[in-house]
This record gives sequence, C-alpha cells and structure tokens, in this order.
Amino acid sequence: MKKINKINSAYWFILPAALLVILYFFLPVILTVGISFTNMSSVTGFSNWEFNGIANYIKIYLHPDSLSIFGSTLVYVACTLCFFNVGMGLLVSILAYHLPRRIGGFFKSLWLLPRITPAVVYVLMWTMITADAPYGIINQHIIAPLGLNTKNLIPENAMFFCILVNGYIGASFGMIIFSSAIESISSDIMTSSLVDGAGFFSRARYIIIPQLKWPLLFVTTYQTLSLLTSFESIMILTDGNFNTEVWSLWSYHKALNNYYGNFQYGFGAALSGVLVVVGVIFAIVYLKFFKFGELVKEPLIDEM
Amino acid sequence: MLKKILSVLLISIFILPVAFAAGEKEEGPRTLTIGVWTREGDTNHWRADVAVEAAEDLNAQLKAEGSNITVVAEPYIDGGDWGGFKKKYALAADSGKAPLIIISGHEDIATWGAAGYIEPLASSISEIKSFSDEFNDVKDNLWKSASWQGKIWGIPQDTEARPMYFNKTLLKEMGWSDEEVNNLPAKMADGSFTLYDLIDTAEEAVEKGVVEPGYGYWHRPKKGGDFLQFYVAFGGEYYDADSDKLVIDREALIKCYEFQRECVESGVTPASYIGTEWNIWHDVVSNNKALFFNGGTWMWADWAKNYVEGGEATLFKNIGYGYEPSGIRGEKGITLSHPLVYLVSSESASDSNDQEIAKRLISLMTTTERNTRHAVESGHLGILNSQDSYDEYLSSKFLSSTGYLLDNNVFQPNHPMYGIWYDSFWDNLVSAEQGEKTPQEAADDAITVMKLELEDQLIVK
Repeated sequence: MKKINKINSAYWFILPAALLVILYFFLPVILTVGISFTNMSSVTGFSNWEFNGIANYIKIYLHPDSLSIFGSTLVYVACTLCFFNVGMGLLVSILAYHLPRRIGGFFKSLWLLPRITPAVVYVLMWTMITADAPYGIINQHIIAPLGLNTKNLIPENAMFFCILVNGYIGASFGMIIFSSAIESISSDIMTSSLVDGAGFFSRARYIIIPQLKWPLLFVTTYQTLSLLTSFESIMILTDGNFNTEVWSLWSYHKALNNYYGNFQYGFGAALSGVLVVVGVIFAIVYLKFFKFGELVKEPLIDEM
Repeated sequence: MLKKILSVLLISIFILPVAFAAGEKEEGPRTLTIGVWTREGDTNHWRADVAVEAAEDLNAQLKAEGSNITVVAEPYIDGGDWGGFKKKYALAADSGKAPLIIISGHEDIATWGAAGYIEPLASSISEIKSFSDEFNDVKDNLWKSASWQGKIWGIPQDTEARPMYFNKTLLKEMGWSDEEVNNLPAKMADGSFTLYDLIDTAEEAVEKGVVEPGYGYWHRPKKGGDFLQFYVAFGGEYYDADSDKLVIDREALIKCYEFQRECVESGVTPASYIGTEWNIWHDVVSNNKALFFNGGTWMWADWAKNYVEGGEATLFKNIGYGYEPSGIRGEKGITLSHPLVYLVSSESASDSNDQEIAKRLISLMTTTERNTRHAVESGHLGILNSQDSYDEYLSSKFLSSTGYLLDNNVFQPNHPMYGIWYDSFWDNLVSAEQGEKTPQEAADDAITVMKLELEDQLIVK
C-alpha cells in the first residue's frame, strides 16, 4: 500500500514535466505526421485541405532529388560531427586541459566567439571572406599574391564551407561538456597515470577518453539530431545551391519559405516526418553502440 | 473528426501570433480601419503610405454622399523577405485577420485566389476600367498580369523592366563608333543582335583586355524571376491560358541552359559566379568593370545614389540599355515585367465586407500624381497612360527612356503551381551553368521534377 502511494506521488511530481513534453514535443510530431498525410498547401489554406494518404511519401520516394539530398545530409552531418562538434570539441578540451589554466581558458573562450556572434552576421562575414578578389580577404591577400587564379570560393567548395562554418559554431558545445567532464576525472587517476609514465597520447587514449563515455554519447546523439534539423547557416551561405540542400532545408523550402510563396505544407511535413524517423534510428544506433544499458546499470557496489 | 481536430489545432496555433486588426463593425456612424500591407520601405514606402492621404479624399467623397463611414488607412510595411511576408499574409487570411488591402506580386493572385483569401474585383477588363477614371487610365497590357481564370483580381501598382545593360565606354574602348553604340538598343530590339552575339562581343572584350576575364557578361547573381526571360528568348512557352496549365518546352529549356553554360565556358562569366553578393555585383556593373549585365530598372536609382561617383550623369555617360536580346536571330528582344498589384482580401480572410470601399481607396491611391511620386522616387515604371505626358514623370530621363520596353514584355504566369515550376527550372539552371550537369541532363532532371510535383498541371512539349 505504501509502495503504491509512493508510485502515485511520483506520477504527480512528473506530471508538470510530462505535460510540457507532451505539449511541446509529442504534439508537434503528431501534428507534423498528421499534416504529412494531407494535401495542405497555400492553395488549400488551413481549411480546405484533404487527406491524401501516403501520396506525399510516395512523392518523396519517387523524387529524383531525394537520394542526392539525403546523401548531402549524411555528408554534412557526419563531417560536421566528426571533424568539429565531437572531434574538434574533444581535441580542444584535451589540449586546453594540458595547458596552463589561464591559457587554456583563453584558448577555449576563443572557440565560443562563433557561437555568441549572431548567425546572420557570422555567416555573411564568411561570404565576404571568401568572395572573389578584390573583395574577399582570402582571394585578395592569400591567393592573388601567390599568383593563382582568384575565384568566388563558396560555389566551388560549397559543402566544405557549410561544414566549416557550422563546425566552428558547433565545436564549442562539445568543448564545454568535455572540458567539464575531464575536470571531474579524479585527480588521483590523472596523476597516477603520469607517475606510471603515460605520455600525452597514452593518457588521452587510455585514461581520459574511456572516462568520457557518457558525455560522448550525449554530445554525439544530441549534435546528430541537432545537425539533422539545422539549416540556418546553410540557408544564409548558399540557400541550398551547389548541392548543399540538406533534408531539413528542403523541408523548410517546401513548407515554409520559397520565392513564390506557394507553401507545400503537406509535402514539407512528410519530409520532416522522414527526418523524425531517421533521427530516431540514429538515436537507437548510438544507444546500442555506446552500450547505454551498461552505462545506466547500478554501480556494482550498490548491488552488493 | 480527425480533420476537424487537426484544423482547430492548426488554426489556434497560428491565430495567436498573427493578430492584426483589419476592420471594425459598429452600428450607426462607424470608423472603418483599412489595413494596407506591403513589404520594403525605403524608396518604396509610398506603396502603402499613400493610402493615408487617399483616405482623406475618400472621406470627403463619403461625406458628400451622406455616408456615416469614416475611413482610416493603416499602412504596414514589412521588413522581411518576400517569403516571410507572404507567409504572414496567408496565416492572417486563414485566421480572418488579413488587412483589406495587400500589395504583392501579381503571381500571388492564383495561389491566394484559389485559397479564397482574395476576391475578384471585376469579371472583365472593361468592367474594371469603368469603375473609375484612375482604373481606366491603367495601361491596357498590364491588366493581363492581374487576370486569372478570366477575371480581374488586382490593380497594378507599379511595374519595371529588366533591360540588358551595356557599358558604352567599354564598347568604345573596343573600337565601336558612337553610331554603333547608339544603334545597339535597336539591334537588340529587332533581333539582329542576339544573346550569342552578346557572348561574342564580350569574348572579344576579354581578349582585347578591355575587361578582366569573367567580366564580359554578368547576369543576376541570385535566384529571381529574371531567368524566365532567357527561356522565353529561346522560344520557350511556360503557360497555356486555355487549359490554365503550365508548359515546359524541352528544346527551349536545353537552349536556355546551353546559353548559361556557354557564358562560363567562353570565359565571359566567372566559373563560380552564382551566389555573388549583391553589393559586389552592383559595384562591378555600375563602375565600368563589366561589359554587359542584366538587371532591373529599379537598380538605376540605387546605383546613382549609392555606387557611382557623379550619380545619374555618370551613369548616362557610361551605361546604355535595351531589350534583352533574343536567343534566335530575327526574333524581337523582350523584357520581363513584374507588376506589383493591389489585392483586396475576401470577407472570410479579412472579417470585413467593405471590399467596395477598399476598391475606392485603391482607386484614389492610383492617381497620376500619387503613382508618379512613387515611380520617380523608387525608379519603377509608371502604370498609367497619363504619365506619358505628365511633367513630373517625364522629368525622370531614365524612366521616360525605358518606358518603351513595356511594349514587348512578358509576365510570369498567374498559376498556383508556378513557384514549383520555377524552383525546378532554377535549380537545374544553376547545375547547368556550374557544369555539374550537361544542359541536356539538367533539362531532363528539371522536367522529371516538374512532372512529379505538378502532376496534371504540366504540359510537356
């Protein structure tokens, strides 16, 4: 009886958070999936639409751009994640840990600059940096003095710059999480590793990284889902031209913003629906890969 | 049931942030607030702001008629982009909070007409012209842009042309005589100077060192309706009015893409050009760095004010303009016009049944003096016959010397799916110009997407 009461009161405590989750997380997904089974668009408005079954999903399946956009999305997410959001974040946090505290702190705060600069200003700055000579800094001051041909750099290396620009913004997130996780590693272990003769690489490989399983799981999963749905810097940088249209930008263009204003809410929602499924698959894969079950097991000392 | 629940949820989500007063109803004497929405302020602010003084005239008329209505115009200028502006209107209209008058591109007529957001203003051109002297004064060919399914849905507010500009100073440096330079607009008009002649001339300019490689011809650097005129220049059809369907002509599309690619391969346009920032583009074209360039008439005032030392006098000295040449020898040059139109929201969209009064307000916003004020200040072409002999309008040398371009202009079609048609056209134009696809591959891909997305709304030729 006491146990039942305990469970009941637990439900009451969780209710406010559950309501918020339902209202702001589940309901939008349900609405999006619902809309994806309709022909809703600017032409039908929000009142005269009809259910059209899985027509929008069939359209995605048959669409000649689906495969290439999906491929671009995978390249964008994987490269940004590996080289910046996780890779660079980890590297910066480990390097900064091995520097004197003040210098390390300064080094880390530099990486926060792209994140605190408004996205529009930051991305437009890149368009000017990469513009053709005599306007762009790279062309005018680096490429031209070398006697090489100058050119508008973004169209020729569009995906590279999308990854670079986004990566500089995203790296700081992982850096903060990893830095605090490294700081929380027991100094006994860190010091004894030095006593045992571990160098920088051995300590990073065998001491630090194994202790970061939780933050690595969190940053990888969170940033994957975040990158799958982020498109604002790409929109400002290339607007999806030059093979940089990622899935979420495609959805946005179709459903909410295109040049002539005929918004395809139904088709755009179906594109978002696909993204939800892909996100869930990624999350499950990560949980398996990082052995989530083992991470949440009660410590052996508690079992005893 | 599910549909109803979904509708209620959607509308309730969107209603909250889009609350905007469009009209008030009272018994007896009443004040009618008419919202007038447009986007872009700056030199274009008169599009909406002129409603305030027009309302004063309207109130005087209403008073003389013994009406108990007082009209208050409430202009609103949106600072966002076109997509956001159109989205805002669509959401407001769907929740019954739209302004009675909106000024937008004529291509919105079909989409908003089909959605029931706007209502037709007349069932024929003669009917709308008989409504007032001002409407009767509107140039005949502009009504086509405001028509859809046989009815008139909008009143033209302004228009423009997209000339092919050329640099007279650079042509003379190449050895052209004054006479040859002065005759170029006529040759562009009658088809004796084609788009490929343009490439040849630009190539020669690069070879002679008159312009840097890649600076022979600069088209619009970003997405925009302009590129339709290049497809038309190669004989492309895009709309069949009888069936109200969009058309794509494979051969013309390939030729159009081939031309874009040839610009790059011949070295007159940079290989990585699309996406160039506008401020760079304006600086290059207005300061004698590019030989040919395709832009809008509205850019002239901007160049004079913000880019060129010596203003308009320098521009007239250096820059000439004419029709966009045809891609086919002997065919006339053309230009694309994109009139903005006054549209009147339906009763369900605006929660007001004062559409007739809104029409009268638009009529008073369309007087020769008021429209000319906007045209001269913003660099747009006039829409009224009376402006052809109106001193204030004629005082603008540029406007009065480009008005003839409207004699052979094309409009984008009023079809609800045109945006989808254009997206495929543009995406593959970029791929063809960049060399990512051959012109044939790009054309076939564009047609495949159009067929899939437009379904029975497309005729393929």
